[in-house]
Amino acid sequence: MSSVTFTGEKSQVERPPPVSTPHSLSKAVIARRSEYIRPQKIKIKIGSWNVAACSGTDKDLAGWFADGKNIEPNLAGLRVSTAVEENCSQDHIESIEDQEAGRTKKELTILKGDHGTITGGDTIGIYVLGLQEIVDLSSTKEYIGKVYSDTGPMTKWKKALTEAIPEGYQLISEQQLSGLLLLIYASPAVYPTITSVSSVNVGTGIMWSLGNKGAVSTRMVLGETTSLVFVNSHLASGNDAQILERRCWDVSQILQKTRFDPINRSGILDDHQEGIGDEDFAFWFGDLNFRLEGLPGDDIRRLLMLHTQGEYDVGAKTRNKIEAELENNDSPIIIQGVDSDDEEFGSDSLQTSRAFDTNNHPSSDLPNPDDFVQDPSQDPGSLQAAIDSLLPHDQLRHVQKKKRAFHDGWREGPITFLPTYKYEIGTMGRFDSSQKRRAPSWCDRILFRTRKDKAAYEKVNREELMAKRRDEEMKARGIDTAGDDDDVLYDYDPDEDGDETPSKSEEEPTTGKDFYDEQDEEDEEAMTKDGFVDKIHLDIYTSHQRVLSSDHKPLTSVFSLDYDAVVPELRSKIQAEAARELDKAENEGRPGITIVMDHSQNACETSQNVDTPFTAHEEGINLGSVSFMKRKSRSLTIANTSQVTSAFAFVERPGASGDEIGPLWLNVRFISADEEPSAKQNLKEVVLEPGETINCVVEASIDDIGLVQALNNGTMKLDDVLVLRVTEGRDHFVPFHGTWMQTVFGRSIDELIRIPESGIRSLQTSTTSIISTQPIRWSAPRELFKLTELIERLAERVVADASMLNASQVPKESAGWPFESDSWLLQDANVREEYAAAVVDALDSSGNLGSAFPDVTPAIEKLEVVAQTLVLWLGSITDGLVTEALWTKLETDIISRGTRQLTDAEEIKAWVLDVLSSSPNHNIAFVFLSSTLNRVADFLAPLPRTHLSWKKSPPEGSEARVERHRAIEKAYADIFAKVVFRTRDVTGKEKRVAEERKRYILESFLHAGARK
Amino acid sequence: MATKGPVGARGPAGSSRGGNSRFAQFKLVLLGESAVGKSSLVLRFVKDQFDDYRESTIGAAFLTQTISLDDQTTVKFEIWDTAGQERYKSLAPMYYRNANCAVVVYDITQASSLDKAKQWIKELQRQANENIIIALAGNKLDLVTDQPDKRAITTADAEAYARESGLLFFETSAKTSENVRELFTAIAKKLPLDQAGPRNPRSGGRGGVELRPENTSTQGAGNTCAC
Ligand SMILES: Nc1nc2c(ncn2[C@@H]2O[C@H](COP(=O)(O)OP(=O)(O)OP(=O)(O)O)[C@@H](O)[C@H]2O)c(=O)[nH]1
Ligand SMILES: [Mg+2]
Repeated sequence: MSSVTFTGEKSQVERPPPVSTPHSLSKAVIARRSEYIRPQKIKIKIGSWNVAACSGTDKDLAGWFADGKNIEPNLAGLRVSTAVEENCSQDHIESIEDQEAGRTKKELTILKGDHGTITGGDTIGIYVLGLQEIVDLSSTKEYIGKVYSDTGPMTKWKKALTEAIPEGYQLISEQQLSGLLLLIYASPAVYPTITSVSSVNVGTGIMWSLGNKGAVSTRMVLGETTSLVFVNSHLASGNDAQILERRCWDVSQILQKTRFDPINRSGILDDHQEGIGDEDFAFWFGDLNFRLEGLPGDDIRRLLMLHTQGEYDVGAKTRNKIEAELENNDSPIIIQGVDSDDEEFGSDSLQTSRAFDTNNHPSSDLPNPDDFVQDPSQDPGSLQAAIDSLLPHDQLRHVQKKKRAFHDGWREGPITFLPTYKYEIGTMGRFDSSQKRRAPSWCDRILFRTRKDKAAYEKVNREELMAKRRDEEMKARGIDTAGDDDDVLYDYDPDEDGDETPSKSEEEPTTGKDFYDEQDEEDEEAMTKDGFVDKIHLDIYTSHQRVLSSDHKPLTSVFSLDYDAVVPELRSKIQAEAARELDKAENEGRPGITIVMDHSQNACETSQNVDTPFTAHEEGINLGSVSFMKRKSRSLTIANTSQVTSAFAFVERPGASGDEIGPLWLNVRFISADEEPSAKQNLKEVVLEPGETINCVVEASIDDIGLVQALNNGTMKLDDVLVLRVTEGRDHFVPFHGTWMQTVFGRSIDELIRIPESGIRSLQTSTTSIISTQPIRWSAPRELFKLTELIERLAERVVADASMLNASQVPKESAGWPFESDSWLLQDANVREEYAAAVVDALDSSGNLGSAFPDVTPAIEKLEVVAQTLVLWLGSITDGLVTEALWTKLETDIISRGTRQLTDAEEIKAWVLDVLSSSPNHNIAFVFLSSTLNRVADFLAPLPRTHLSWKKSPPEGSEARVERHRAIEKAYADIFAKVVFRTRDVTGKEKRVAEERKRYILESFLHAGARK
Repeated sequence: MATKGPVGARGPAGSSRGGNSRFAQFKLVLLGESAVGKSSLVLRFVKDQFDDYRESTIGAAFLTQTISLDDQTTVKFEIWDTAGQERYKSLAPMYYRNANCAVVVYDITQASSLDKAKQWIKELQRQANENIIIALAGNKLDLVTDQPDKRAITTADAEAYARESGLLFFETSAKTSENVRELFTAIAKKLPLDQAGPRNPRSGGRGGVELRPENTSTQGAGNTCAC
């Protein structure tokens, strides 16, 4: 027969379903990032200035930082002039004298008439301003008492900066640590692309961690790809060697303690904090306080002032002062190349500076060569030559060299400007003329580093370490040729040593030590953490010599950055696509099953049964006709028709009897195809691989009388739904239904006496029982006649058989046989159940009870089954043979008699029958039953004929027979007392009393002595 | 130790700006009389398809669909498309019990289907999550564009009822896809993105409905990650 699929789903996806979670989604999105990133350019301007807590410094800010004014071209190297707009006339620039005078008149000391020389205004994407000593920290008291609570300086500088930069720029970060202030603003276009901003303070000053020295740092992510770190630091000041150590310690503290919040990458937070070094680009600036060492300070002052004096007009006050100073000391100024102990240091380390080549310039127009006099470093009398001669004495370069600080990839632009410290406030070129006559120094610096710089350093460093270790190992082994290995490593000659090594140009030595001097002069490409390529170019690095309000000169750098930025709109699109794909894969890759129902089971049944009244639900399991005591099963085949392992189970669903898998009368179990049918997997979760199948058996068995009554009167239907849930898949509903076959069980006497001769099944309808509308046909239930008649016949037969055949012996020990279940000889419960179902069926269909059994069934087994059926049926009668009302009357009488109870069986019977007569049908049924029981007892334990004349001379053995008869009477009374009477529910002593009374009545009817 | 200065670190204003994305997952249940087009609406929303002949749903179909509200907010719906046939009515609580949102569908050409929808809405308001977002969808809008007389329920009536009962309301067509995406988007927008996902994943152990901030390694509570 055909199988019909009523549910199912298929899937084509082979891989396990990728589920869209925040993680998988962002992974999928990141995998497609090239589709939503676009190259961007940005200029970042960094200004650094130690304002020495001087008043008026804020007023100068706009001039030098925002507009790029106050550069003294002649003193800052000529390169900056290339940034001057070509048509910009500098004719009306205020004279130095006028400008210096401004200081004393409390006016701006910013150069008037200067149109600015450095890229500024709205060409800058991000302005970064690092200031030092914005508050006076000369005393600890002041520091603790005032600075922590005073937001005034911050407010003042923010105001100055916002007024200086173009309108619309927005604050990215403001961070203050006492004298240190870091302010970052971004243009309206850049601002929305900045994320993951985190700022951190690290104090290294007084008491080791307070903030008069230290760093304020800000990390941010640009365009969701490129992380930038800005460190504004003020390191320990002072000239002696100990303080130099302290500066290096400060740097290490800042590196160690700066920890930014985790970065949020495409919605996912990195799980670790980042420090300085994890970024793509870092910028470290501030008053690093590194000095020139190894030269008499005054010599440096005088050398430099020789250059600065030329900038003043004749007769100017400052010029006179400078000249006076220079004249006072006529000792020769000799600045030799180097007095450092490291030979290579000098010229090599200046490579960086010289590398500032014209080709390197961001402006596409090459500067007019006439703007340059000649390469100033080639002119021994030039300022640049003087600067170059001083730089080898710079402590920063020394500590880099010695790997004490800023050695791991940090770079600095070429220094083409005068030392930034220390000037007489209010003058342009007059260095410290106090008693100390401090050596002018490049205290203020702007350093930068790319991820690639750091990586390159680390690579070289690793190689050096490895070489060193090998060297040591060799030495340890006593081989004294370790030096050769060094040579191999450092003096590698590609021409001789093989050609797989990329060849290097000959001018460039391949020593690891000056790796950072080797970087090609093209724009540097740095790989960012996410694998994007970013380029950085230093456009400007200069000081603003004509800013006079502090003893430090401010510094400016402009960097051009090419980077890949996320375009949010594009990313949204990609994200939507990725989500759709994930959803699709998830939905199609779900586990799934197909449930196949074998409809042939129903087909063969309909032929032999009443038509099923169910037409509404064609799908699902049709259990067909379901009758009392008869098991009915159906099987389903469940196949995994998906491409993935599928697990499923029937789950609890809200039902009539609470949350159950199915109704109580339904048994559901899985039977796998390759297992013995007895190996029930029952209702545990089943796991099937693709293509596998399992059988599921659904079995209805209704033997609960309460259920039978509900089904008889139509308050319950054989109609329910199982829910089969596929884990991570859909739920399948498995509806099932069956037709309840009308039965004589669970009926009232009043119904039973109306059952037509054709049997109760002839009243079968689709809706409710119509039995109450039938005429009364019998004086007592016909089932009682049928059952008792058969019992009597069988009992007689059994006794007869027993007397002839030794094989069928009536069990003598149990008096309750054949009604007592413990005494049954037919032990096979399945067989007995089958026989009983057949007897029930015969009763329901008005068939012949005797022929319900297979022909060969021994009478003794038949008797047991029919006896069992009788007890079951009596118990199922809703109102009982003796109804609750009748019982109440009987009990009332018993109670009223008190201690004078009836003792004579005949009297008792007369009384009971009198009470029962008010309900004639019940009465007849009761009498009928009791007389049957009497006869059965007599068959099984016949009393001696002389029974009535016992007193004279009882015959041999007659006493034992009488005893046995008595025992049977008692046992039957016991068994039938439970099913004949209906009483209200009582418990405990009351119950025992009631049972005693029931037995008392029944025994009277069964008592042999009472019979004629 | 890093010491914070007098002025604390401050990022750009507005914490939901760039890079701060949220992902929220919600359980959605579709209810309504049989044949009003529940499965068709889901098919349109999830696969952008339409079948003229669809088998009635016997069970509860489970599908997921993720939508982006804006470039920062992603909402994933876990959709349960239930069986509308009367005989499965008693099983509906299994599906709406932990639902965050429900779409109750009726057929604008069948007056009785709105009555049924109203019953569902009453039941939801009594039995479901108290914060459940309910949308009323009058489906098969395409049928009345050519033949206005086919309409059995006026837009005004349904809208008034929806307003009264605090429901989202759309007239949709699974066939032409009119208002289908709008319906689900409107629900997503109304969902409390900052707090609730399904509180108790249903007893069947279907996990993964709880959302978690992605920075925590343990899969803890919390439903959206506003990072
Ligand atoms: N013209 C038109 N027909 C539709 C539309 N939506 C659904 N239908 C049709 O209506 C019928 C029923 O649609 P289903 O989506 O199966 O309805 P359902 O609500 O899921 O029904 P159940 O699963 O039984 O609860 C199908 O034949 C669909 O093709 C619609 O917007 N316009
Ligand atoms: Mg459906």
